Formats: sequence, C-alpha cells, structure tokens
Amino acid sequence: MNPFKFSMAQNQSQAVNMLVSNNSAALLGGGTNLLDLMKEHVAAPTELIDITRLELKTIEKNALGISLGALAKNTDTANHPIIRSDYPLLSKAILAGASAQIRNMATNGGNLLQRTRCSYFYDIAMPCNKREPGSGCAAMEGFNRMHAIFGWSDQCVAVYPSDMAVALSALRASVRVLQQDGSSRNIAFDDFHILPGQHPEKDNSLKHGELITSIEIPENKLAAHSAYVKVRDRNSYAFALVSVAAGLALEGARIGDAHISMGGVAHKPWRALKAEAFLKGKTASTANFRAAAKAEMAAAKPLSHNKFKVEMGINSITNALEMALKG
Amino acid sequence: MEKEEKNKSIGKGIDRIDGILKITGKATYATDYPAKNMAFAVLFKSTIAAGRITSIDAEAAKKSPGVLTVITHENAPKLNVKGGLRGGALLQGPEILFYGQHIGLVVAETFEQATAASHLIKVTYQQEAHQKTDFEHEAKTPVMPKGKELQDFVKGGGKAAVKTAEVTLEAQYETPIEHHHPMEPHSTVAIWEGDHVTLYNGSQIINGAQTAAAATLNLKPEQVRIVSPYIGGGFGSKGGQWANLVLCAVAAKVVKRPVKLALSRQQMFNSVGLRQRNIQKITLGATKDGKLNTLAHETISHTAINDEYIEPCGDCSKIMYDAPNALISYRSVPMHVILPTYTRGPGKSTGSFALESAMDELAHKLRMDPIDLRIKNEPKEDPSNGKPWSSRTTVQCLKEGAKAFGWEKRKMEPGVNKIGDDLVGYGVACGTYPARQRDSSAAVKLSLKNGQVFATVEIAASDLGTGTNTILAQTAADGLGIPVSQITMNIGDSSLPPAAGSVGSVGASSFANAVNDACTKITDELLAKSGKQFFVRPTARELMISENIAAFQIRSDSKAPVDADQYSCHSFNANFAEVRINSVTGMIKVTRFLAVTGAGKILNPKTARSQIIGGNVWGIGMALSEESIIDPRYGNFATRSFADYHVPSNLDVGKLDAMFINEIDLVPNKMGVKGIGEVGIVGVAAAIANAVFNATGKRIRNLPITPDKILV
Repeated sequence: MNPFKFSMAQNQSQAVNMLVSNNSAALLGGGTNLLDLMKEHVAAPTELIDITRLELKTIEKNALGISLGALAKNTDTANHPIIRSDYPLLSKAILAGASAQIRNMATNGGNLLQRTRCSYFYDIAMPCNKREPGSGCAAMEGFNRMHAIFGWSDQCVAVYPSDMAVALSALRASVRVLQQDGSSRNIAFDDFHILPGQHPEKDNSLKHGELITSIEIPENKLAAHSAYVKVRDRNSYAFALVSVAAGLALEGARIGDAHISMGGVAHKPWRALKAEAFLKGKTASTANFRAAAKAEMAAAKPLSHNKFKVEMGINSITNALEMALKG
Repeated sequence: MEKEEKNKSIGKGIDRIDGILKITGKATYATDYPAKNMAFAVLFKSTIAAGRITSIDAEAAKKSPGVLTVITHENAPKLNVKGGLRGGALLQGPEILFYGQHIGLVVAETFEQATAASHLIKVTYQQEAHQKTDFEHEAKTPVMPKGKELQDFVKGGGKAAVKTAEVTLEAQYETPIEHHHPMEPHSTVAIWEGDHVTLYNGSQIINGAQTAAAATLNLKPEQVRIVSPYIGGGFGSKGGQWANLVLCAVAAKVVKRPVKLALSRQQMFNSVGLRQRNIQKITLGATKDGKLNTLAHETISHTAINDEYIEPCGDCSKIMYDAPNALISYRSVPMHVILPTYTRGPGKSTGSFALESAMDELAHKLRMDPIDLRIKNEPKEDPSNGKPWSSRTTVQCLKEGAKAFGWEKRKMEPGVNKIGDDLVGYGVACGTYPARQRDSSAAVKLSLKNGQVFATVEIAASDLGTGTNTILAQTAADGLGIPVSQITMNIGDSSLPPAAGSVGSVGASSFANAVNDACTKITDELLAKSGKQFFVRPTARELMISENIAAFQIRSDSKAPVDADQYSCHSFNANFAEVRINSVTGMIKVTRFLAVTGAGKILNPKTARSQIIGGNVWGIGMALSEESIIDPRYGNFATRSFADYHVPSNLDVGKLDAMFINEIDLVPNKMGVKGIGEVGIVGVAAAIANAVFNATGKRIRNLPITPDKILV
C-alpha cells in the first residue's frame, strides 16, 4: 500500500470540493472494496476522503417512492421495515450478497461503485485493460468461467459483481448525484453502469467530482410478486454465476409488466429487455416464463469456460419468475 | 473398576485447557511475539514460471522511506539448498522454476513501508522456451516416478485379470489442485543472539523445523531454537518447512535486528506447497454377485520440475478390498509449479474419492447396496502384504453408521427422491489411514506445595489447534494421579525433549505414549526412592506427599513397540452423506453427514469430534467447491484469493455427526491410540459424490461438483 493523505469531509459540498481539487483522490465509505484494491496495489489514490460523517444515511418514503441514503449501510437497508414490506426484492438481493460483516460495513453508494472481481484485474502482474488501459485482457483467452456472456467487448469480459444493483435495476431505480456546481442530477439506473466498449477502465457514468447522495426507487406493485435467485459455487459468500431479480405486476392472470434483471452475466446489471417485452400482456405461466427466458438468452455470447451460463440463465429466469408468481 | 474409570481423565470430553487463552487472544502465535526494534520483511515473487532473472533493479526500493535492505540472489548469503527445507526458492541463483517463486525480500521499519517498496522493484527475465504449466498437455507424456514406494505394485495377474471378470468397471476420476490455507498464514519472527537464532514459527514438527533451518543456515541444530506453542492450523503445509522460515532468519542477520515475516493470503497460494492435481483410473472386475477379482488403480500426478512429491493415491486401494489380482501404479508429470506436499489425508483423501466412487458405480451396475458390496469384499488380512490386521472396523463402521444415519431410507434408484424442486440423495464411502507411533521423549517435573502436588510436562510436541495440550494433560493426570488443573503443559519448543510431529496421524499416539511412559517412569523412581513395598501401587502424587519430596523430575525416551510391524495397523471409517440439490440451479447442500470412525482409544471425545468434523468440512470443500486453476499461459493461479478459491461457508455445511467405535487395539502402541488427524477427510468427497449420483443419476468424476456440472 502506498502512502496516502487521509482527509475527512464534514459536509457534501466540502466532499465534492475536496474531490475536485485532487484528481487521484477517492471517497471512502465502508471501504469494503477500496481497501482491498489498495492492499492489492490495484488502486493507489493519493488521498482518501472519508465521507462517513455526511448526513446521507436516511431511508425515507417520499411522493414518488423511497429514497435510500448513499451512506446507509447495506444491512440497515435490507432490514428497514419499509424495504422489507414494500421492496422485498431489494432486501432479498442485498442479503444474498457478501457476508453479514461486509454488509454491516458496506454503504449503498459504495455498493454501486464496487469494481469487478475478475481475478486478472486484481493480479497486477497480469494484463488488464480495466486496470491498465491498453495492456490487454488476460481473461478473454484465459480462465473466464465467471465472466460475461452479454455486452462484452474485445477489451474486457469482466462482470459487475453487485447483487443489490441487480434488484435496483429491476426496480428501475435512479441514482441521485451532487455535481461540482452544487446542482443535482438523476441518472437512470440503466445508464449508471456502462458496458466496457473501448473504455473498460470506466465502470459507470459518474464523473470525477460527483457524489452519490441517494438512490431513488419509484413506487411499484411488485411487493407481492418478486424473487431473487442467485446461483453460486457455494451457498454463501460467493459471487453469482448467474443471478436474477424478477418482479411481476399482475393484472389478473395476465402480466401487466415484468421486471427482470440479471447479475453475473455482464459488465453491468443486465436488464432482460427481450424477456420483459415478451411477457408484457401474456398469461403468467411457466411455459411463457421459459419462452421469455429463452428469448433473452438466445442473444448470449458465452466465452470458452462459461457456456453453462446460458442454460443456467434460462433456468434461473424461469425459476425466479415462478417464485415471483407464487409470491 | 467403575470407580477407577470415573476418576480417569482420559476418555472424558473435557474442554481444551488452552481454550480460554485462545478465545481471549492471549495464546501466542508466531507473530504475536514482541521484540524491541522489530523490522518487517516482505517477500516479492517471480512473475514468470520458467527461465532466469536477467536483472533486478532495486534502487528505487532501497531509497523508499523506511527501507533497511533489499535481499535478492545477487546479495543473499550462501545457504545450503539441501538442508531439508521444501520447495527451494532460497534466493541462491537467478533460475526460476515456478510462478511466484520468491526472488527477494524487502526489509523496512514497518510492514507498510516494506510492502510499498516491494512494488518498486523492477525485474527482467529470460523465459524458457518450453514452460511446463499446462497439465492437460504435459500429462500426455508422464514419466516413471523415482520414489521406491511409487513403483508398480502388482498382485496376482495384475490388471490383465479383469478380462476374466463377469462384470467390469473402468472409470477415470480427476481432482484439482487444492491449498491448505490454514487460518494462520505462515509467519516467523527471527531473533539472533550472537550465532544463535530463535525462530518463532508455527511448526508441525518442532525438531524437523529445527534441523532443517539449522542445516540450511549452515548452523548446528543447537544454534537454532524453534518456538511454536500454538499453531493456527497447518494441514501438512507446516509439516516440512519452506523458504520463508529461513529467509526471515537471513533478513534478521543482515539488518542485525529482530525481523517479522508473514506471508499474505495471496502469497500462500504459491509459497507452501499444495495438493497436486491427479488423474486416477480405476478398473474393477467382479463376479455377478459382487466378489472382486481385479482392482487396478493407476494415478497420474504432477510434481515440481526438479523435485518429486507424489501423494500416494493408491494406498486405500492396496488394503481396502480383497481382490486376488491388483495393480497400483503412479506416473509423474514434472511441471513448473511449486512442489506439492503432504495435504490432509495425503493420497488417501483423493485416492478414496476414486476408489469409493468406483465401488459405488460397481454396486449400481450390480444392483447391489453399496454397503453390501463392501462387506462382501472385506479382506480377512491385509491384501497388500498378508499381515494380520491389528484390528479392522470397516464392517462395524458401515453397520453402525447405516443404522444411525437411517440408510434404509435411501432409494436404490437414483433421481427419484424429490422434495419440490430439490433432489435428495444418500451416499456412503469408506476410508482408512495407517496407525503408527514414532519415537518421542518427555520430561515430567513434580513439585509439592502446601500439601498439593503440581506437575509440569515438557515435550517438543506441537498443537495444530486440535488439542495436543489437552490430551497430554489428561494423559499426565491419569499417569500421575494429579488433576488436570494442577498440570502445566510445556510444548512446542525445540529446547524441550525431542518428539515426533503432528503429521501423518502420529502426534497423539507418539506424544501420549511418551508422556504416559514418563509418568510411569517417575512413579517407578519415586517408588524406588521410597524404599517401601506397597500392596496397591501408589500414584506419583501419593508418593510425593507420603515421602514429603519437594521436587522431583525425570525424562524418558519412548519408542514404538517392535512387534507392531508384524501387523497391519490402521484406523478405518465409514462416511454417510445426505445431499439436497436444487434441480433448477444445480446448487448442492450437504444437509447431513455422519462419520463413523474406528481409531482405537479416543483420548478426548470432544476434541476428537472437532477434529473429525473439521476433516469432514474440508472434505465438503473438496467435494463441492475447492479448486485452484493454473492459467497455463503464465503459470500463475487464476484463483488467487478467497473470492475465487471457495472453502465451505457455514451454509454449505449441514448437520455433522461423529461416532467412534469402542475399540481396544494395543498392537500399534501401549495406549491403543491410532490417531484421527488424517482419517477424518478420507472417504468424505466420495460419500458426497455418491450421494450426488443417488440424488440426480449424474456421476460426476471430476471434483469439485459445482452447479454447472449438475446442470450440463
């Protein structure tokens, strides 16, 4: 770990100003990923700005839905009574991720900013375009069992690791950000994380100097019909091979709106738009669920070690929708 | 008699005597030893697998804040590379033989400064043209191993006899590289006083670490002291010692200060050995009613490019079943990978996966209950050498286990036991491990204070965390007639009477017999000293009091019984697994596991149970999740952290139960202790794989059994 300056921000504008004044500064929330990256020499910020004193920890209902403070802990979010009753999908997804200890430390904003767990990204002796643009992608022809089957580029095949974000994608949330000039902007969840393209070093559309203040989830009718399915190599504390967040807004026996997002398959939470479109207006049945799953997975482009993710994805989408239907 | 048993400590499941120290953080592990003026060393490693270093630029590192020195092959003191350390990497030359070989160390005022400086070192290499890092490729041209015990073992007509069998089974099983990953990574504090060095270092074999470190440093054994009263697990990786031990001493010598060197978790992957990758082919021939006529077990294993360690995968197959024709063979695949080493249940855990899966496959083919098939082939004597068993509990383990586990609920037909989306399956598999005693010495020191007798027991034994301190205190309590609370254990120090190690399941038998013998000897000497005749032999405690002796001490040297060799002495077990598999996701959970073990005298049922279920947990990992993958392009591990190398989590482990057969077998040693360190993992993976087959009808022959293998 390289020496770095440790600063403490007392309020939001101070945090933004500190960040703006140092291009290689990083914000410190729970530190559950950043400190690992620093210990592994993957990240070497010259300054850490501790933002844990900022008042961004509340979770409260508003006219449009619910607002999650960026610095509220994952554990507190998952266990919040309104989240449990009205947004159980989010609660389930958070609790499927990491370990109790990590969730106790991890913040909601930090969760969105965690970096891929591609082992080549973490091993500084390996080429990795995400860590060192232009050095190449070791995973492309390497051990890529955990890697992407959708949306990867010739530069990067990494997947984004969060479970929480998969649920937020399905819940069609947005990310509220404080900008340098003091104004705020809302970023639709689909636009927050980005595909690797030619710039895999960028994980999201946040600009340096911007501070996530909250995550906004619109009101929905999914509470009774939602499910999170996570397939992983062990029953706890493992990243998803494939995960699916599913919610059904039912109109009688018909599906008014299907919300489906996937984890473990792409550089961002993968909105299953084809499956969602297929199911709109159709009867909620296993046959339709499976057909929707197949429609989505037909476009998958698996790598040498992760062909299984296609079948696993079909099963998992079908299963998540069945579980959502049962409630 | 009953009263006497009641007063005995041996056989009681007392709490660990050092438990409180451990949970309150007061037990001193290697890096817990404080020293004034401590400096910190950090190793840096090669980033190629084969070739040579052409240059090392350490100028920037040397100028980095706090750095005291940088040691590489260019300036390292001359060491004896044949001193007995494992795995080379002693900075004695520019040659690179595996990825992650130590190529130097930075010593600095703080750990952070040493780490930061280590990233400033620039190394250039000349790569070897043929880098042997692709097992699949290299395994096509295996070679004959050198080890005497690895030469072909042929019995009767060997493998060819399978042609005469009515029913045959031939199957290939694969197991991946696994790592020991004890909770305490390998770490050392080295402190020199003149030309003597004290090394605080977790060591499974105290005297082995001492002699290897001394020889490597070109010192006499008495110039090196190993201190290791507590060890945070080892599983074989702290049996033989590795370069880090001596490099810490070298660093301390160079900077003339105490030095602390701890491996990071990532460095653990290629610093301290591993369980090698094996391809095992089993050929079984049998009659229609299940009597084996042929058993062949052919193994191909990788090893280091310049050194050989091959775990004996065929060992179980040599003795488990009665087949008149047999072949046990090994072939080796030298690779540019760190030297493999003893890994819990070496050869037996992996070998039993192959053998016991094959037996399950044969049972299915014959439409026989796999327990019946095993009992049918129970050998009356050791099939490998004709020696009588000192005792053999396989059938008893199977029968008592079947009853306790509810084996009768198993469906013969696979894939039919369903609960919703879940498939349920039962599996059974057997295991074994040799029972041996090794030479060990112990000292007992008695003192009388205010009418109470206190004892200190000294022995250079080691406690991996399994309870050596506790069982030895219990042994001494019974041997001296003193309560456990009045006994002080002093172990884990090479300045104490020499002892065997906590390896190969010899620890408990060797240490406990040594302590027991020392207790007998001190009682004998006190008796002689008293000059009296007693109708009932008094205890050492009674003699100290009656003769009013303030202090008395002896040392005794114990050897294994000479006639044990005329018998085949082993522990045996039967493992029962129940798995529940989600047929949609392919995720597996071991919902119940029962290990029934016949291991002679169980000194402490509580610590014994913990040790057995600990072995079971690693067996679950071996079966379902643990796998280390080498990227053949680089020779590095693509699975290089606990995010990728999956040890079982609490949720992966269901209800575990351990039962012990009440067995008295005094052939292996006077106390009848057979040892349980290794056998707890033997047969576990096979029992789970067999349960997976019973649940799904899918026979998975390459570990680990991950969800993708269930689905595809």
